[in-house]
Amino acid sequence: MTLLMEEKPKVGTKYVAALRARFGAAILEESWQAPDQVTVTVPLNSLPDVVAMLYYEQGGWLATVAANDERPLNGQFAIYYVLSVEGTNEGSQAPENAYVLVRAQIPPHQPEFPSVTPKVPAAIWYEREVRDMFGIQPIGMPDERRLVLPDDWPDGLYPLRKDTMDYRYRPEPVVEDENYEFINVEGEGVVQVPLGPLHMTSDEPGHFRLYVDGEHIIDADYRLFYVHRGMEKLAESRLNYDQVTFLADRICGICGYAHNVAYSSSIERALEIDVPLRAQYIRTILLEVERLHSHLLNLGLACHFVGFDTGFMNFFRVREKAMKMAEMLTGSRKTYGVNLIGGVRRDILKEQRTLITQVLGELKSEVADLVSILLETPNIVQRTQNIGRLEPQVARDFSPVGPTLRGSGFARDIRVIHPYAAYDRVPWHVVSKDGCDVLSRTLIRAEEFFESISLIERCLDSMPAGPILTEGFKYKPYKYALGYVEAPRGEDIHWSMLGDNQKIYRWKCRASSYNNWPPLRYMLRGNTISDAPLIVASIDPCYSCTERVTVVDVRKKKATIIPYKEMERYCIERKDSPLKKY
Amino acid sequence: MLRDSVSNLTVAEHSKYSIHEDPAAGQLKAALLKDIHRSVYVYRVDCGGCNGCEIEIFAALTPLFDVERFGIKVVSSPRHADVLVYTGSMTRSMRVPALRAYHAAPEPKICVAYGACGCSGGIFHDLYCVWGGADKFIPIDVYIPGCPPTPAATIYGFAISLGILGQKLKTSHHVQGEDEHVSLAHPQVPYLLRVQLERESRRMAGYLYGKQIADTFLTMLEENPNQVKENVQAYLDKQADPRLSEIVARLVTVYDGYQGAV
Repeated sequence: MTLLMEEKPKVGTKYVAALRARFGAAILEESWQAPDQVTVTVPLNSLPDVVAMLYYEQGGWLATVAANDERPLNGQFAIYYVLSVEGTNEGSQAPENAYVLVRAQIPPHQPEFPSVTPKVPAAIWYEREVRDMFGIQPIGMPDERRLVLPDDWPDGLYPLRKDTMDYRYRPEPVVEDENYEFINVEGEGVVQVPLGPLHMTSDEPGHFRLYVDGEHIIDADYRLFYVHRGMEKLAESRLNYDQVTFLADRICGICGYAHNVAYSSSIERALEIDVPLRAQYIRTILLEVERLHSHLLNLGLACHFVGFDTGFMNFFRVREKAMKMAEMLTGSRKTYGVNLIGGVRRDILKEQRTLITQVLGELKSEVADLVSILLETPNIVQRTQNIGRLEPQVARDFSPVGPTLRGSGFARDIRVIHPYAAYDRVPWHVVSKDGCDVLSRTLIRAEEFFESISLIERCLDSMPAGPILTEGFKYKPYKYALGYVEAPRGEDIHWSMLGDNQKIYRWKCRASSYNNWPPLRYMLRGNTISDAPLIVASIDPCYSCTERVTVVDVRKKKATIIPYKEMERYCIERKDSPLKKY
Repeated sequence: MLRDSVSNLTVAEHSKYSIHEDPAAGQLKAALLKDIHRSVYVYRVDCGGCNGCEIEIFAALTPLFDVERFGIKVVSSPRHADVLVYTGSMTRSMRVPALRAYHAAPEPKICVAYGACGCSGGIFHDLYCVWGGADKFIPIDVYIPGCPPTPAATIYGFAISLGILGQKLKTSHHVQGEDEHVSLAHPQVPYLLRVQLERESRRMAGYLYGKQIADTFLTMLEENPNQVKENVQAYLDKQADPRLSEIVARLVTVYDGYQGAV
């Protein structure tokens, strides 16, 4: 390794030592990408055991799983399980937080690997995605359905393999209808609720199915990824390193900048580029500006779903101030486009500083008023307390992120656990609650909002002098590293490997909602259907995504389709159950 | 019934012979526009966007912009809609739902392609899981470009689609004349020095402000090369911006270094 890295002490050696003590010769190789990032290569058969040990015995959380077609490099596929290992002995000594990547090679003549999901449930979506995109079969995986690719995509065509297809190749649809098989819930009297894929209050299309007995939800299933476009392939084929930052902005229309920083920092970390301190501060400020508008949006929706529409409109009115702030700082309300590899593209001068300080003051007092009105509305506590419970054990098993996890008693925030940008240079504190319900998650967003304001103020006050861009570095092929950012809804993790033609070799980006969807099923169980939209909105999943709900009545064995609007109305008014009408 | 008519066509046929508007529907549309004036129902179809467009449409509905004051209302079913707004690049999974929404809306209807992706597919235009912009499949009347369009642009776009304003799509071709030349910026300053100053300024303040600050400095340098430092100091005192002073001090250092080398 290079000189620079030896200067900093390595973090996480004790986890590697523990692995060696348990598995001995099964740890084939150990390599460090950064002082707190280590890759251990293990044989394919030990993969589930190694991941499970790190996850449950060493305090690991599953950050992402990246498969990679390394056949042009070494003749094998590879799969990386990325765990943020945080130790288990709390309080007694300083925590040792490191990213441990468990890597296993998969021979191309037998593209299979033993599934980790039976031991670590959090891996479920990742392994389904690996099967879709690379055609590598997880053996022993309980769920055989597609996750990412559309139903009309031909079998046996795996987009992310390097030798299968050009990124522009568009196969003819093999089927005209959606044929996704939702899970079958057996039992007396279930009602089905397919919500989707189009829906009014917004956004991403998605398709839900709720299984209910009378008014109570027994189970839920969903089909998402209607908007899969193939960004990862695009980044690998058409764009160069700097252009991918603009693509990363467009991963999500709400937390795009968080993705942008995660991507740039993964490349910077792989190349050991020193990003100037001032640029780090500017990134921190912009990330918090993004959190301001995202949290206001979710608070507004929380008002809407409990039927408090005045609050909803007021939160959105105030939110425009946060949007104005983003526009003053970056020139754009949404897709900021201010990152480059090595720094940022726009400074903060006196004019912007004065304006922002003024807007921050206005935001602080107006939102404080609105939040107190919201909490004094008797409806809100009544509708949200003990609703949509995410039990700590379920949270532990599925590695959810952001306010969803922090609402269940885990004070886990990537900004503290793996500090990046300027978060370890300004004082602030993590907000967590242990109510495990919709109320806790809403309150966390409200408190984090004020935390963000003071973070921005402190960053503006202590902003260092100096340049904002590093130039003149060289890209080195096949180096890889992680980039991580605590977006408003939880951590975004990017794993990037550099290529040899001024393009990324493999880019795996994982958005925060990705980890929050699988546990949602457990949050919905046991609640009444009138609370379903509220629970879905409480994980802020680029939000509720759905237009109609199929309700399956287990007792009457009858499937009814209810328009989403009707569900939303029922959630707000809580009378005239749609189940009786249809 | 709708499903059958959609599923009898292959995708290639769709893109080759996209839906053509019935001339009778076109006349109806003209009549509708004349009578409509108020109360237009809009239905949004997200065909695979990043939510940026959806959020900006949403912002247009909220108190600051409030399109409802013009009678524009977002509805939850295409069957109630006068205007269909297509956002996002058309993904494989969303093609059939998008067409279903088109057929579900009653004639006459106005179709709007919203945002860079809706208009052309945007940055995703040629990807394997994307068919392109909405106009590949659906006859589009109005394009609202932007990534994402601002709420103001959204309102402007709605005004165009209602015929309150005409869409100004203009092309013009400029042929460079014999004696027509682009003038060089700051021709008095030596090329090497100018590049060094601009580069340093960009490294310190980024593209936009860096360019502005370098321009100011170069203008002062051109105006009075002998007295540049005094003039710069006077300018900085007037601005009273510590960050600006720091950046310009770096430019002065670069200038001194260049003078020393010469």
